[in-house]
Amino acid sequence: MKRRWHHVILVAGVMSILTSALRPARIPETYRITGQAQGTTYAITYYADQKLVSKTQADSIFKSLDASLSIYQPGSLISRFNASQEAVEMDAHFANVIEKSMQIYRTTGGLFDITVYPLVRAWGFGVKATDAMPDSAAIHRLLPCVGSDKLKMEGLRLVKTAPCVQIDVNGIAQGYSVDVLASFLEARGIANYMVEVGGEIRTKGRKLPGNEPMNIGIETPSANVFDAPAIREVISIGDGAVTTSGSYRKFRESGGMRLSHIIDPKTGYPVQREIISATVVAPEAITADGFDNALLAAGIDGAFEILRAHPGMEAYLIYRKPDGTVADTASAGFGRYVVAER
Amino acid sequence: MTQTATSRRDFIATGLAAMAGAGLSAAFSPAFGKAVRPADKIRLGIIGTGSRGAGLATLIHEMPDYELVACCDIIPENLQNGLSLAAQNAQGYADYRKLLDDKSIDAVVIATPLYLHYPMAVAALQAGKHIYLEKSMTYDIPQAIDLVKKVKASGLVFQIGYQYRYYGLYHRVKEIIKENWLGKITHFECQYNRNSNWRFPVKDPKMERAINWRMYREYCGGPLSELCAHEIDVVNYLTDSRPLKVVGLGGINYWKDGRDTYDNIRTVYDYPHGVKASVTSVLSNAYNGYSIRILGDKATVEILRDKAFIYPEITNNAKGVVDGVTGATIAATTQGKGVEVKFGKPGEADLEPTVFALKDFAECVRNKKEPVSNVETGRDGSIAIHMGNAAADTEKVQYWKPEYSA
Repeated sequence: MKRRWHHVILVAGVMSILTSALRPARIPETYRITGQAQGTTYAITYYADQKLVSKTQADSIFKSLDASLSIYQPGSLISRFNASQEAVEMDAHFANVIEKSMQIYRTTGGLFDITVYPLVRAWGFGVKATDAMPDSAAIHRLLPCVGSDKLKMEGLRLVKTAPCVQIDVNGIAQGYSVDVLASFLEARGIANYMVEVGGEIRTKGRKLPGNEPMNIGIETPSANVFDAPAIREVISIGDGAVTTSGSYRKFRESGGMRLSHIIDPKTGYPVQREIISATVVAPEAITADGFDNALLAAGIDGAFEILRAHPGMEAYLIYRKPDGTVADTASAGFGRYVVAER
Repeated sequence: MTQTATSRRDFIATGLAAMAGAGLSAAFSPAFGKAVRPADKIRLGIIGTGSRGAGLATLIHEMPDYELVACCDIIPENLQNGLSLAAQNAQGYADYRKLLDDKSIDAVVIATPLYLHYPMAVAALQAGKHIYLEKSMTYDIPQAIDLVKKVKASGLVFQIGYQYRYYGLYHRVKEIIKENWLGKITHFECQYNRNSNWRFPVKDPKMERAINWRMYREYCGGPLSELCAHEIDVVNYLTDSRPLKVVGLGGINYWKDGRDTYDNIRTVYDYPHGVKASVTSVLSNAYNGYSIRILGDKATVEILRDKAFIYPEITNNAKGVVDGVTGATIAATTQGKGVEVKFGKPGEADLEPTVFALKDFAECVRNKKEPVSNVETGRDGSIAIHMGNAAADTEKVQYWKPEYSA
C-alpha cells in the first residue's frame, strides 16, 4: 500500500515537470497603476502573469462613479438629487451606496448620516470653502433638513421628504469605489491584488512570486496637513478591506480650536471627540468606510458598543487622552492582523 | 549730506572711527513726549508727502486713531496733496523744523528720502515727538548705531515702517515655521524685481534729483535700501536673527540713464547656523516681482505680495516598509503642489498691511509700548543693507562687526 502511493506521487511529479517544461515558464509580475481621482490619489497593485487591467479602465471606472456620486460635479446624479424638490431615479452605484448608507445609519443610531450635507456646507467643508463660521441660529435652521429618516427608497427612486434635504456620500463612496475596482480586477481573473483610494484599502491573496503577505501601515496622525505620514502599526488582513477616518487631516481652525470635518448630525456641530483616527477592518471596503466615521463620532465607549454589535468587524483607534498625549486601543480580534515587529 | 558715492564707501569702510570723529553722539537732551490719553485722537504730522507719504495719509485719513494736523514737503504739489487728505485746518510747512515746533503735535510720520531720515528723526526726538519713520532706517551704519542710543535715551515711541511685521500673512508663516511644517530651513530666496526704470515724471529738470532721489547714491542705497529692505527685515524677523556676513555683486547694466544706484544687485547673506538668504533686485524683469521662498527639507513656502503657498516635498517614506498605508484621506493637491496659506481671523477685513502697522503705532503711543518694528530691528535692517551694498561696491565679503550691536 505504501509503495503504491509512493509510485503515484512519483508519476504525478514527473508529469508536472513535463508539463511545465512544455509551456514557457511564466513568473508572475507586479503591475502597478497610480493616478488621481476623487480629489485624492489611488494605487492599484496586482500580481499576474500578464497585464490585465489598464489605467484607462481604472480612470473610466472613476468617471462613472463621479457621474453618480460626486458632489463636486454639478451634473452628477447626487447633485441633481440635492437640487431636486423631491426625487431622482437611481443608477446602480447610487442605489448601492444609498442602501448601505441607510443600513449603517440605522445600526449606528444615526452616527453615520449622509443627510448631514447642509451642515457640512455651513461649516465650510462643502464644495466651496467658506471663511465664515455659522452661528447657532443658522445651525438650528438647518437641523430640520438633517436625518436619513427623511430619505425613502421607492424601487429605483430616491425620495426626500423635504426639498432642503441634501446628501453627501463622501464618507462612504471611497470605500465603495475600492470595492468596485476590486470586483473589476476579480472579473479579469486577478486573484492577488491591493486597491487603495485615498487611504482606503482592499487586499486579496498574496504578493507573487514570493508569496508574501501584503503589509499595510496605519498612519500616525501628523501635526499638520503637510507632514509625511509615519507608520504607527503594521497589519496584514488577508482577504478583506481596511479603511481609516481621521479628524487630523481635514479641519478648520477657529479660536485655537480645531474643527473636524466630521459633523455630528444630531447637534449640528463638528465632532469634538477624543478619537483622532479610527481604522476599521471588514470584508468589504464600503462597510469599513461607512463605520469608521461613526466610530470617530461615537467616542471610545460608543465605538466599542458599535463593535460589539458587529462581530465581523475589527477596529484600531488612536485617541487623545485628557492630558494631551496620544494613545491607542483596539477591539479584541484586531490583534491577529498585527504584523510582529521584524 | 553731499557725499559722493566714493566718499560714502570710504565712510562705510571706516565705519565707527568716522562716527566718533564726527561727534554724532554729542549732547543729546532727551525729551519726553506728551502723554496721549487713550480716548484722544493722536495729533499727527507728516514730514514728506510724496508718493509714500501721501499713501500713508490716505490710510490715516480713514483711521479713527489719528487726526492729521500738519504736513510738510518742499515740493508745493506734494504738500497740497498731503493737506487735501488732512484735517480741515491742518497746517502746511516747507520746513520740517517748523512743523516740529508745533507743541500740539504728538507724533510724526517721516516719509522722506533716505538721507534725510537721520537728521529729521534726531530733530523730532529732540522736539519730543513719537516717530513713525519709513524704511529703511538710516543712510549709513554710524547713523543706525547712533539712532539706537538716541531713541533709547528719549523714552519716545519709535517705529520703523516695516509693515510686514504687522501683517497676518507673515505671522502665519512664522507660526508655520515654528510648528516645523517646513522642516529644517536652510535657505531664503528673496527677490524684489520690477521691469521699469523706476523713475517718477519730472516737469522741471531742476527737480530731477529731488524727485528721482532713488537713482542717486547721494540720497539712498538704491534697490537694496528702497526695495529689498523689506525682505531683509522679513528674514531677520522670521529667523529672529541678523546676518553674520554678506557677499554681493551689482551693476548698472540695463538702465544707463545717468543713475548711479544699481539697476541690478544680487547678494547672499549668511545667517546663524549656516542659513543663507539670497537677496536680489533686478529692474528689467517683473516675473513674480516680489517673492520670498523659504526652503525647508520638508516643504517650501513661497510668499508673494498678499498670499503665500506651501509646496511640500514629495516623500516616499512609507514605501519599502509596507505595501500600502491606510489613513485619513490626503488631498491630492497636497502632493507636490502648492497649497495656499490661510491667514487672518475669520471675518477680519483684508486691509493694507500698513494699516495694521499704523494701528499698532497708535497703540504703542497710547500705552508707551515698544513697537515690534523698533529702532533695534531697524538698525539691523539698515546695517545689513549697507553691508550688502558695500559687498557689491568692494567685491569683498562684509562682516557684521560686534560693535554694530554692542
